[in-house]
Amino acid sequence: MAAFTIIVNGTTHRVDADPAMPLLWVLRDRLNLTGTKYGCGAGACGACTVLQGDRAIRSCTMTLAAAAGQSFTTIEGLSPRGTDPCQRAWIDEDVAQCGYCQPGMIITAAALLRANASPTAADIDTAFAGHICRCGTYTRLRAAVHRAAEYSK
Amino acid sequence: MSTRRQFLRDSAGALIVAWRWSGVPLSAFAPATDTALEPNAYLRVDGSGEVTLWVTRLEMGQGVRTLLPTILAEELGADWSKVRIEQASPGGRFKGIELHTSGSGSSSGAYRRLRTSAAAARDMLIAAAAKAWSVETASCRAERGWIVHEPSGRRRSFGSLAASASKQPVPEQPRLKDPASFTLLGKPMKRVDGPAIVTGRAIYGIDVRVPGMLFASIERAPTLGGALVRFDADAALRVPGVRHVVPVTRGILPGVAVVADDNWSALRGRAALTIEWASRPGPPFESEQYLAALPSACDRATFKVRHEGDAIAAMEAAASHYDASYLFPFQAHAPMEPMNCTADVRADRAEIWAPTQTDVRTIAQIVKVTGLPESAVTLHCVMMGGGFGRRLFADYAAEAVEISKAIVRPVQVTWTREDDMRCGYFQPATAERFTAGFDAAGALTALIHKTTASDLTIYDIHDGRNIWTAPPKPARGADDYEKDQSPWGAYDTPYEFPALRVDCADVTSAVPVGPWRAVEYPSTVFARESFLDEIAHRTGRDPIAFRLDLLPRDSRKVGPYTIDRARLARVLEQARERTGWSTPASARPGRRSGRGVAANVYHAGSYLAMVAEVSVADDLSDLRVHRLTTVVDCGIALNPLGVIGQTESGITWGLTAALLGKIDFKADAPVQKNFSDYHVMRIGQMPELDTVLLDSGASPGGFGEHPVPLVAPAIANALFAATGIRVRQLPLRLNQRPA
Repeated sequence: MAAFTIIVNGTTHRVDADPAMPLLWVLRDRLNLTGTKYGCGAGACGACTVLQGDRAIRSCTMTLAAAAGQSFTTIEGLSPRGTDPCQRAWIDEDVAQCGYCQPGMIITAAALLRANASPTAADIDTAFAGHICRCGTYTRLRAAVHRAAEYSK
Repeated sequence: MSTRRQFLRDSAGALIVAWRWSGVPLSAFAPATDTALEPNAYLRVDGSGEVTLWVTRLEMGQGVRTLLPTILAEELGADWSKVRIEQASPGGRFKGIELHTSGSGSSSGAYRRLRTSAAAARDMLIAAAAKAWSVETASCRAERGWIVHEPSGRRRSFGSLAASASKQPVPEQPRLKDPASFTLLGKPMKRVDGPAIVTGRAIYGIDVRVPGMLFASIERAPTLGGALVRFDADAALRVPGVRHVVPVTRGILPGVAVVADDNWSALRGRAALTIEWASRPGPPFESEQYLAALPSACDRATFKVRHEGDAIAAMEAAASHYDASYLFPFQAHAPMEPMNCTADVRADRAEIWAPTQTDVRTIAQIVKVTGLPESAVTLHCVMMGGGFGRRLFADYAAEAVEISKAIVRPVQVTWTREDDMRCGYFQPATAERFTAGFDAAGALTALIHKTTASDLTIYDIHDGRNIWTAPPKPARGADDYEKDQSPWGAYDTPYEFPALRVDCADVTSAVPVGPWRAVEYPSTVFARESFLDEIAHRTGRDPIAFRLDLLPRDSRKVGPYTIDRARLARVLEQARERTGWSTPASARPGRRSGRGVAANVYHAGSYLAMVAEVSVADDLSDLRVHRLTTVVDCGIALNPLGVIGQTESGITWGLTAALLGKIDFKADAPVQKNFSDYHVMRIGQMPELDTVLLDSGASPGGFGEHPVPLVAPAIANALFAATGIRVRQLPLRLNQRPA
């Protein structure tokens, strides 16, 4: 056990835990931010995606020690009232089915749009290659990213 | 114990909006107050005008939390923008109403039942208003939260009428609205949970937090039927944060649970366990050998499924024959949210939070494990991150209850993805054999279909059996399959053959099996639609024209089903037209292209045709699916946005089965462990989806599972059109030996 400091959604947290504890479990079990989901624990599904700065990362494969001192944004912190262009586009395209994988998808969409204001379909496929949705919302997801890009302009 | 049919009906519709009505009379519900109008359990109109609509099914992505309130609001005449939607929990207000979510073929009954419940409330509001105004009820109508007297234009709000309406007699058979006047049903309605989902506020089972709760992870026997011999918990208990180590006996496999302050500590403690396991007696299960031998099981198909005419005599008299066998592998459900459950068991009560498709079976497990009466059990059915049939088993709830009972504290058990993939109730591997007989002119004279089926109740823990050591269930009766109208897709084949014989063989293995999205249709329809394609090509017929010739444009009774074959013909014709079927598939340099078709009727309620366009590199590598055109007639599309979403969802599921998914077993254990080796569809592999709804105006059919079975045969048939190679085994591989 050791003490670490991480910044999540603008708030600084001191976490006393195993340095090897994945950021995912820090968020969910210690900070009670359950919007970030566990899907595979192996970086293979994208359900646990959060923003590290402007970059989408898998919180299930980043240790607390590696996360120390860094600043993260989870789905809860993306916008105070769900007004981020990605969240609005997700609603307007009615993307979610079971919805479990969607916070991770929305975070990846937000990261994509910060790096690329007008992503092509191929850009979207590349950005989401590491994500899985078992409900099969992929076609609406693509449309939502295009729509979010419009909203961002 | 449920019959197979009951179990399948209960189990099938992982994503279907349909259910069995439990038969509570409308007037049986006793309202809590006399200032509110609540003639039944489904809704309440408060004196303040607030309208509360209860969702009496469980949400796993299929949209019931949106659709069911829409049905109620439509018939009530409520203002949709102001209704409050509440999730029903078992018992209490909903005593006698099963929330169990699955089943199929009964959606029209459910649709009517909810409408009737809301119409009763509406008519009571109208009666109260008419009395107050001394006018005829026929001159009043409900509109967006108001009762309006048409001739005078007078209006009164629902809230101002609630108390007086509650004193009106509850009409037993209220008149239902003319669908032509619907203002909500038939319109695209967005998911009511959308805002909660996109902000991370939606609470799934895994997100439940209870004061004082601990987290548990279970190491289960590594092999099918494995047993716990002994374990050493010392090292695990030394891991910081670990509080308890307890054996678990109530799940699918025996195990040892490590209970800790958080998930990570539980996982670390679990890794530190020393456990000795025993394997079950007998040779270990190897799926490769099992699959190789499975087609020969068709020779033992003696259970009658459907016999029409004398197919055996017709086959003997035939001038020529053709036969082929098809194989469907074991499959995992792998919903994105792994199995989990939160339990707080005390000496005199138990409170459980379960992401489950089945309140009924979960409560039965809680009662069994705790020994408490049902009245001491509170079950909260929370949102599911997918279900697909896996959550019709309550094994994961039983484990959580067992652990909480042992440590007398609330505990959440979360399965790892590896646990979830390894300890499944898998879609059973299945073989199908078809034989066709032809006369001297080459016309089809008889069809024989021999299928294999696994008893999906055999590994059900709910009747208290140890699934690997219990004696086999009594042999099935010779006509049990026919009575059960199964296997689906074999029993209810929509085509008319001069003579037809469908028989089934029971097969079992050491693999626990259960219902998976679309249950038996994926295997039976893959085989049937592939075989029809084979014989169309062999007899020089166009595959769509060949199918249309097998579809007289009439309705045909098959057991309880009335199959409207004109509806199936219509979706086939539409698919033909929409895809430019008679023109060649798009030329792609260095590649061979082709189109293939498949069609099916899902429980006589949903009629589908699908055309796949695929291409393969000239060296026969790199199969790509470019486009899937799906024409769907599922009757009235109550929420077209939902129907199209569910259709795309089912297609994606079918694509995984067609191209990627399978679970292999070696030495009594599943080979695939996580999404890194159990491959499922990802965005970059998705073809263009062109989905067309044909609204026939018929009663609503299921719309979540219906497209799953068509994908593999449409692609296999397109692959044949492109290459001349027939692949008869899933997932489709070009280097397979013929089955």
